[in-house]
Amino acid sequence: MRVLRTIVQTLFLAGVVAVMIRGAMGLTASTCETYCPFAGFVALYSLLRYKTYTCAMNELHVALFVSLVALTFVTKKSFCSWVCPLGTVQEWIGKAGRKVFGRYVRPPIAVDRILLNLKYVVLVLVLGLTWTVWQGHLGFRAYDPFYIIFTGFQGHETLWFSIFIGIGVLVAAFFVPMVWCRYLCPLSAVMDPMSRAGFLRLRRNPGLCTDCGICDEACPHGIPVATADEVTARNCTNCLECVEVCPEKGALELTLFGK
Amino acid sequence: MKKVIVIPAAILLLILVAFATMGAYRVPTLVVEFVEKRPAVVASVEYTVDGLTCRGKSRGFAGMISGVEGIVSLTTYVRSNTAIVEYDPTLTDPVEIETAFEGPIVHEDEDEEYFPFKAKK
Ligand code: SF4
Ligand code: SF4
Repeated sequence: MRVLRTIVQTLFLAGVVAVMIRGAMGLTASTCETYCPFAGFVALYSLLRYKTYTCAMNELHVALFVSLVALTFVTKKSFCSWVCPLGTVQEWIGKAGRKVFGRYVRPPIAVDRILLNLKYVVLVLVLGLTWTVWQGHLGFRAYDPFYIIFTGFQGHETLWFSIFIGIGVLVAAFFVPMVWCRYLCPLSAVMDPMSRAGFLRLRRNPGLCTDCGICDEACPHGIPVATADEVTARNCTNCLECVEVCPEKGALELTLFGK
Repeated sequence: MKKVIVIPAAILLLILVAFATMGAYRVPTLVVEFVEKRPAVVASVEYTVDGLTCRGKSRGFAGMISGVEGIVSLTTYVRSNTAIVEYDPTLTDPVEIETAFEGPIVHEDEDEEYFPFKAKK
């Protein structure tokens, strides 16, 4: 499972790096943003209200966003742990941090609960600013680590502080697993309600589970798998790290539509 | 754990669907009418233009062709880098319009950016 996921992640990461290199060589006008479904979500407003696109938003962004909605309804936030290159990079950095510290470092639960809601604030801010101050322009680029990092810190909207955001997210991911995805990513906020409904989800078999709690520790999102009958948590990305480490075969299984 | 295959299969399928359906409809990025009264005869020409990738650049493109006498309207579609120009065929022609947007840059002001463009042949 982990091998399959790593292959898929590597392919998407390689794809976005290839676009970045081709862009730097002047071989393409495309950037990582060309394939970003969040732009499709932002575009819905102008599309429905003005029947036009603004900035660089276009039909591909919207199609990718619609696909993301379908994917999330079926497989929860698998986009984050199988597709998104920023998720991949944070995951790998987080694993390096886990090796160094011997475990994932997590904020206290009360703090974590508050931080978990920050991404909704970010989402409202991004939408509000895009359709007022930024007048339909994707001004979020300057703050978006995906754009900042995968344009090689060279994107035409990368400002001086963008560099700090990009590097800051990468460094923070070493100490707090999936820090951007978990607390700040506006696309993650959009996916949350759909992810809760996600049809492909993990079920714990209490008859086989020994309550060892190893799965809880392995989850980069700090989801309490060991006490759940079914993992419905909105943050579950179906990365299956918990299944990977579970010593009891069959204690954790994926179910589709409850089967 | 065979169900894990649902994830990459769904990802692949939905990406293919996205790319297959993105051309199913077309929504403009910029529509500019250059004249108040349309001439009796209007012709149109479609260009695929390198660098026509956003609304700002579409506005720059509009700026570059705005000086050509006989230009009626411009509609751009950035996904396909397409510009559709309507013009009065008694006053101008596609070659003159192309020459205008391929430069040289005619003027700049603080609100508009102007870029040299290149029609894809
Ligand atoms: S619960 Fe399991 S599958 Fe879900 S995010 Fe945590 S480790 Fe990944
Ligand atoms: S790792 Fe497996 S056995 Fe241990 S608590 Fe989690 S599900 Fe139960």
